[in-house]
Amino acid sequence: VNRALFAAATGMAAQQRNLDIVADNLANADVVGFKSAAASFTPLGAGPGFGTVLSAEHHVFSQGKLERTGGPFDVAIDGVGFFSVERDGERAYTRAGSFSRGADGRLRNADGWTLRGVRIPSSALEVSVAADGRVSVGSPGGARAPAGRIALVAFAAPEHLRPLGTALFAATQGSGPPRELRAGGDRQPKIAFGMLEKSNVSIVESMMAILAAQRAYEANAKGVQASDEMLRIANNLHRS
Amino acid sequence: MDGIELMTTALRAAQARLDVSAGNLANASTDGFRKRVSHAALTESGIRSSSAIDEAPGALRHTGRNFDLAVTDGALLLQAGGKVVEARSGSFTLDGSGHLRDEHGRLLLGSHGPLVATSLATIDSRGVVRDGDRELGRLRVRTGTVVESGFLEASNVDAVSEMVGVLSAQRAFETAQKTLSALDDARSKNVNDVGRIKS
Repeated sequence: VNRALFAAATGMAAQQRNLDIVADNLANADVVGFKSAAASFTPLGAGPGFGTVLSAEHHVFSQGKLERTGGPFDVAIDGVGFFSVERDGERAYTRAGSFSRGADGRLRNADGWTLRGVRIPSSALEVSVAADGRVSVGSPGGARAPAGRIALVAFAAPEHLRPLGTALFAATQGSGPPRELRAGGDRQPKIAFGMLEKSNVSIVESMMAILAAQRAYEANAKGVQASDEMLRIANNLHRS
Repeated sequence: MDGIELMTTALRAAQARLDVSAGNLANASTDGFRKRVSHAALTESGIRSSSAIDEAPGALRHTGRNFDLAVTDGALLLQAGGKVVEARSGSFTLDGSGHLRDEHGRLLLGSHGPLVATSLATIDSRGVVRDGDRELGRLRVRTGTVVESGFLEASNVDAVSEMVGVLSAQRAFETAQKTLSALDDARSKNVNDVGRIKS
């Protein structure tokens, strides 16, 4: 068995997938609430000449920059936690707070996921959201009326959340169940109204990761070439 | 041992050397990986090649994740099965019971058994684990250990020397093949030409 050939080939395959992940990060660098993904590699064995495998892809839940948008229903989380959204009875969690008001008064994102806990009456003139998530609306009479509360949830192990789309996640056994998070106080996450969280993708780091993956791919390709060349020589040992 | 047998062991040694370099190159991006270094020696049974792990530490790579831990000095203590093992770096995640486990499922140890943490916990250079102002515990580490949270130890593979390894393995293989062919030619002459009567 030619170990070197296989080891170098696993290196190429792993770097290829690594490049896919970095490219996906870059492609979503402008998506609100997007969390970048990172790859980790594991050796395939302990002896000499074993290859590698891209063993896990996990999301990095570091804070993205908050940007003022002035959208009437835009919210962002300053701190940890997720918004809880639902669609057709299914629950999901996101940090993308770009919502619009539906005909039924519920707040929806572009994919039709509804923010739980809030209903805006049709008579409302304007809406505001406090740092603790309380939503109030201004009515024609001038008095303010409560319209629900945006609840934040947290997970024991957010890295084990399952991605459902670009900025949407579902709970899993590994992540643990969602647990409600207090907001607005000292050392607690705050809800920023009229703002959106940008992705946490660093363009510079992604470019560097692409360069590194490319060179690593090339180095492994040379390993494949050298193995191939040696096999050719071995085959020519016997000259008829 | 005749020349042909000797050259066969040389071919094998060159192949083994390429295996080692290719394995190292494949794992250049594997965090915490330790490269192997090949050695060749001329023995009575020909050229014997072996490889050993190079324990030199790799560079620290910034990840910014609170549970990516590395040490610049000393070691982290982990529990694997019933045994306590040392590690210089690990990417830990919380499991369902609030314990931190690395990629191989090994538990990170605190001063009183497996460490219990929360998803917001921070770990300082002396290994104190805090959630805000609240101290959750302390890592069990060897004395003098400096813990770096938000870093992983990269592999200690140096791409340049591995590429040189690939090249020299290939050339050594070629050299052995050429010598083998020359020996074969000489034998062929012995068998076919020596004693031939010219007519």
